[in-house]
Amino acid sequence: MISFFIEKPLACWKGKDIYRGSVLDCLTVIFKTGGCSWNRCRMCGYRHERYSPMAPADLTTRLFAQMAWVQREYPQSDYQMVKIFTSGSFFDADEVPASARRAILEGFRGKLVIAETRPEYVSPDTIREACELVDDGSWNCPLYVATGLETTSDVIREKCIDKGFTLQEFYDAVSAAREGGAGIKTYLMMKPPFLTEREAMEDMQRSIEEAAPVSDMISMNLCTVQNRTDVEYYWKRGMYRPPYLWSALAVLAAAPVHVSCDPVGGGKKRGPHNCGSCDFDIVRGIREYSLSGDRDLLAALMETECRCKEEWEFVLAGEKPYCMPLTR
Amino acid sequence: MSFFEAKKRDICARIGVFEHGGMKLSSPAAVDAETIFPELGVVRHTNVPLAAGERFTSEYLHRYRDLVAGHPLSDAVAPSGACIVAENWHTVMDNPSAFVDMLANLKRRHPPDTLWYAPAAALPSTVAVLVYAGFDLFDFVGVDLKTAQGYFCTPEGEFSADEWMDAGTCSCAGCRSGDLGEHNRTALREEIALATKMIARGTLREFIEGRCRSRAASVAALRLFDASYEYLEPRAPVAREGALLAASGESLRRPEVVRFGKRVVDRFVPTRTDVAVLLPCSAKKPYSISQSHHKFQNAVRNRGHELILTSPLGLVPRELEAVYPAAHYDVPVSGYWDREEQCIIASVLARYLARHGYARVIAHLEGGSMDIARIAAARAGIELEETCSGRPTDPASLDRLAEALDGERAIRPDTIKGTVSWQFGIDIPTGDLQVRGKPWRRLVVRGRDQVFSIDAATGLFRPTFAGWQLLGDCYRVAIDDFIPQGDILAPGVIGADDAIREGDEVFVVGRRAVATGRAAMGADEMRRSSRGVAVKVRKVQKRAVED
Repeated sequence: MISFFIEKPLACWKGKDIYRGSVLDCLTVIFKTGGCSWNRCRMCGYRHERYSPMAPADLTTRLFAQMAWVQREYPQSDYQMVKIFTSGSFFDADEVPASARRAILEGFRGKLVIAETRPEYVSPDTIREACELVDDGSWNCPLYVATGLETTSDVIREKCIDKGFTLQEFYDAVSAAREGGAGIKTYLMMKPPFLTEREAMEDMQRSIEEAAPVSDMISMNLCTVQNRTDVEYYWKRGMYRPPYLWSALAVLAAAPVHVSCDPVGGGKKRGPHNCGSCDFDIVRGIREYSLSGDRDLLAALMETECRCKEEWEFVLAGEKPYCMPLTR
Repeated sequence: MSFFEAKKRDICARIGVFEHGGMKLSSPAAVDAETIFPELGVVRHTNVPLAAGERFTSEYLHRYRDLVAGHPLSDAVAPSGACIVAENWHTVMDNPSAFVDMLANLKRRHPPDTLWYAPAAALPSTVAVLVYAGFDLFDFVGVDLKTAQGYFCTPEGEFSADEWMDAGTCSCAGCRSGDLGEHNRTALREEIALATKMIARGTLREFIEGRCRSRAASVAALRLFDASYEYLEPRAPVAREGALLAASGESLRRPEVVRFGKRVVDRFVPTRTDVAVLLPCSAKKPYSISQSHHKFQNAVRNRGHELILTSPLGLVPRELEAVYPAAHYDVPVSGYWDREEQCIIASVLARYLARHGYARVIAHLEGGSMDIARIAAARAGIELEETCSGRPTDPASLDRLAEALDGERAIRPDTIKGTVSWQFGIDIPTGDLQVRGKPWRRLVVRGRDQVFSIDAATGLFRPTFAGWQLLGDCYRVAIDDFIPQGDILAPGVIGADDAIREGDEVFVVGRRAVATGRAAMGADEMRRSSRGVAVKVRKVQKRAVED
């Protein structure tokens, strides 16, 4: 009997992304790994996407196989930019053994690589080595270290996300990454649990302002309700509501720098949503803005007439920590 | 510092007065809570959902200055007089079991003389149930949200304002001027006012049994509270001034109704246990003033123990027919007994018959009530003698009843033993006691001494000092070392018999004085409150103090 099994990433797709004002073809890969070592964030369902414990050598073999699959399926000439996710930290050697990490980076040599990691795995040496592996001289800065800072508020990061690192630790990682020659991409999270709609908006406004000086790119994620998470536990009981798309629009429109945003699950019950009738246009508009940086588009969307806008404005004023969420 | 005093209670609901920082508020009420408690307006990032776990709650639950956050997993206990804010209570409005369990636990933990605030939970369609559950303070957040969403609020639910605003269902100032926000706030205030009047007249329960119908979660909450009898019953008054209308299926589980049946089975001492005669009830109360019962009594001539089978109370022995609520209930009579009624009444009857072991049980019943007697007899392992052919009041039936009792001894029902055992849970010798006086002012005397007066409105006995000597040490309230001047206030109470309910006759005992009176609150509230009248005193006797 022959058993036949193809090892491939959790997900892999081609899209567009903006880089220094121009739109690039971008490959996004989510590798299946040993899994996030921290494994505690309240909104994160990716942490369940992992191999069961195995020897590092086996893990390395499987990652090689995944990379081979990517290279087979997506010709190098089809994209210029690569975003590497692992449902955890690409630079955590327990999750992605060093030899596998090197092979993957080498495989993407010549691309503009963005790799996600928690700050504790960022050291100048690791990053310098990574830069050297991907750099073929095509890009001024061939590697960006992407970190889910989520918010610049230590209080909110601790209480609402249980992220397990401080703003200072993030700053330290930023310095280490820059020393190693990489740029910085910062992910923010709009409306983790336990925040009112207004608190969530204000948290993003402040976080964008504070993260901008140390970040080359900022991307804002809108919290979604993923399976088997704390967020889902509260959401099922009517105690959590994902952000309004209005709030996301307002934050993007008021941001002093360009912030990209992909409203995953936009318009769905489990994703950022308004009333259901205006959602589609706003989701499309936010995606467009992420690529174009067209502020007039945001302003126009903000002026869209919809009955739920009055509800959203009331929620911003009336939702308080002792009576939330007011809507579903 | 703040104070809360309940002026009138109806099971868990209260009409009260709250004082805080020079402000005086009558409850229940809807207010802009942040003007009364400005700290509510400034809290940031303090949310702790009702379903949060223990560690998260203990770490993050906000400690207010003037309020206490009432979270199910917080072990903080509010001081008397505080306002307890049940944070995010609106999130359990559609989850009746969480609503009832969490609230019952919170109410057990915190003292009763506290003001209970349910943020964002009140709508005209929900506030009556919240009041019934024991909340006192509400805000306009819920109705204002409905306004923003374009909904027209009524006690029956929320409807599209486009269709309802001009439909003529309301003519408040808001509706007249096309102001939805004003209508919605007015509708909330009116519903609270209505519930308040219902508490005042002691008919909140009847009101709720009707009001809850438009929301499934409200009906479920009502039923689940009733299922928590151990929680609800101690809060239910022993008697009310008016009638008890048992007009819905839920009436069968109403704590006063269940308690009556339990006392008939567990406490009541019957005059005799040789021959029982089961009789149908009558519309007129007490039953003996009805024509049908005249006929039954003429046929029985005290040769059997008369037990009246009825819904929703189950079983009313003749001795108790004047006691609340036996003489005070009203039911829709259609001749049809539903299964739930049959099941509950049969259970009371079966338990009663099993307990007392009558030698003969004669069932002078027809139709549905006869079916119930048969179910109960089968369950208790008793053979019934059936004496009805056709209607119970037909001469032939009455003749058969009289015939069946031929040769049995005539014994007059002992109302004194019956009532005292039912009311105080104690069996006293009644050989030398007599009922005297006019119907509106009846007394129980021993020789020349009065031992009880009988409350004409409730049928309950009011012991004199001599009467209390017959009753052992039940229904006692222990007070501190003082001579009561007027009523006894809750802070003066140092102990109270668990059995005491609002409206019960109690004997007050202190080092310097004893007193007779009526409980104005239940035992638990007496012990745990620092404010309000605990006992309305009738008479005080000083005691010689040995120093």
